[in-house]
Amino acid sequence: MTLPAIGRRLARSLLGWSLVWSLAVAAAVWLAAKDEAVELLDDTLMSSAEVLASLMVDLPAAVAAPPARVTVVTDHGSGRFAWQVVGPQGQLLVRSSLAPAQPWVLLQQPGFGVAGTWRLYALALGAGGRVLYVGQTFEERYEAQADIALSAALAALALGLLGHVWLRARVSHELAPLNRLSQRLSGYDPLAAGASLGAAEREELQPVQAAIDELARRLARRVAHERAFTAHAAHALRTPLAGIDAQLAVALREAPATLQPRLQRVRDAAGRLQRVVAALLALFRSGVELQPQPVDLGTLLARLPADGLQVEVPAGATLVADPDLLTAALVNLLDNAVRHGAHRVRVSLPRPGQVRLEDDGPGVPAERRIALQQALDAQAYEGRMGLGLMLADMVARSHGGRLLLPPTAAGFAAELHLAP
Amino acid sequence: MRLLLIEDDDILGEGLRDYLRAEGHGVDWCRRLADAAAYRGEPYDGLLVDWQLPDGSGLDWLREQRHRGDTTPALMLTARDRLSDRIQGLDSGADDYLVKPFAPEELAARLRAITRRVSGGTAARRRFGEVEIDLAARSATVGGVPADLTAREWAVLEALVLRAGRIVAKTDLERLVLGFESELASNALEVHVSALRRKLGRELIDTVRGLGYRVGVPQ
Repeated sequence: MTLPAIGRRLARSLLGWSLVWSLAVAAAVWLAAKDEAVELLDDTLMSSAEVLASLMVDLPAAVAAPPARVTVVTDHGSGRFAWQVVGPQGQLLVRSSLAPAQPWVLLQQPGFGVAGTWRLYALALGAGGRVLYVGQTFEERYEAQADIALSAALAALALGLLGHVWLRARVSHELAPLNRLSQRLSGYDPLAAGASLGAAEREELQPVQAAIDELARRLARRVAHERAFTAHAAHALRTPLAGIDAQLAVALREAPATLQPRLQRVRDAAGRLQRVVAALLALFRSGVELQPQPVDLGTLLARLPADGLQVEVPAGATLVADPDLLTAALVNLLDNAVRHGAHRVRVSLPRPGQVRLEDDGPGVPAERRIALQQALDAQAYEGRMGLGLMLADMVARSHGGRLLLPPTAAGFAAELHLAP
Repeated sequence: MRLLLIEDDDILGEGLRDYLRAEGHGVDWCRRLADAAAYRGEPYDGLLVDWQLPDGSGLDWLREQRHRGDTTPALMLTARDRLSDRIQGLDSGADDYLVKPFAPEELAARLRAITRRVSGGTAARRRFGEVEIDLAARSATVGGVPADLTAREWAVLEALVLRAGRIVAKTDLERLVLGFESELASNALEVHVSALRRKLGRELIDTVRGLGYRVGVPQ
């Protein structure tokens, strides 16, 4: 499952916000620019009319009189405006070439008005009743308005997008200390001497780092206690166990023949107790200081007590494991085999990092084997199995793997997987 | 062999002492490092030292002994079984390292192995003419025929074989065989030596008048 990421969420929000902001600003600019453009165009229309009027006040009387023909003045300007001079009776006197041939007589009053597709400004030309009309097509006006508004809106949109890019860069820059903290954490060993995450890079990270450092200190204290306890327990348990064995060895020599089998059984039991204690102590330390190294299985198994069990190991079989923990697991698996009536155990390495022990004992029914496997998978050992399988599973798990009980044609098989 | 055992645990100390004595070794057992000082200068074949003792570290004590020039083979006994502990133990002058709990049989075998190494070679069998001595099996044969030796006789023979080519003073030999805790009758050593000569042949053990006994260099 992918969790929501602060960076991604912020980036998405920023993108959304930037778009909305840009569009809103663009719309506002569009509206404002459009109104301004109308005013500007009207001002220009009026100015143009006034300039033209000042030029036309001194037109010859011929122009003032109703002409036989309308004079058409060729427009050399930009073509943005057209104009007409209309007589007192509404007759067209003079017009620019772009102006329509029909007189604009709709406006009785000087000022702005509309005639068809034209926006007009009317101005009285002298006292003769003549009116000067200066017009501009709405098409022309809309085009100008759109040009202005579009440029303004585009500029706002571009600014918005630039802002988005900049903010995104800021966000990733501001989140970088969080990434660096993650990296530092991944290489952080709270049990190392003087371990610390160092100074926080940001104020917000300070309480997080302080909490982690405190947690690490508590963990280190606890591990130190456990180590001290293990060392103490080791000494307290190992010495009397060695003493019991030495005393029993002497007693076996001195005791009458009738007592010897009984003493030997006590010594065997003491031996098993020793192995269990050693395995428990090794396991107690596991995970805290796993020391994996290449282990020669043949050499290791040859050293283990197997009580008459014939152990077959392929020559040169090696695997990488913590030798003490592997010994603890194997001793217990071999001990299991002996107690369940096996005489021979075949050891093999199905894959690198895996050891398989297959014995010639009576084995267990399939349902029991499946139930054991389920209990191992769930790590629900209590009351479900003996110490041997539990220890072997815990050893495998401390190496990152687990114990499997695969089906076999005969006997019982256990596979130690020392890696995932 | 004469051995110095420094072990504070009563059950283990007593068990080891009795086991090793039954094997025919002379064992001096002390519970503290302070008591071990009394044995300084004694000719031991091996030292068995517990690491953690009530009055200090057996490892420090051993280091100090090595510093004084004492090269007696030493076996550390300890409940500490971490790799770093084992390395530290061996680097500090121990010839071998045994983690508790251990079987006394293994301790005896390791002791034989380290003393063999010191007395010239790792081979357990030494040959002196017709006589072959197996230090691991603790047996002797003459011309292939096993000789029946008592524990004391074996102890005397072993002490001499481990010092083959060197003269061993009578008093040293007595101490090597028995340690301080038991006393030999005044002529007991002579009795054992003559028994050995009777069983293994007269040529094996030389008497160096006024100095002690010696066996030759093995072939």
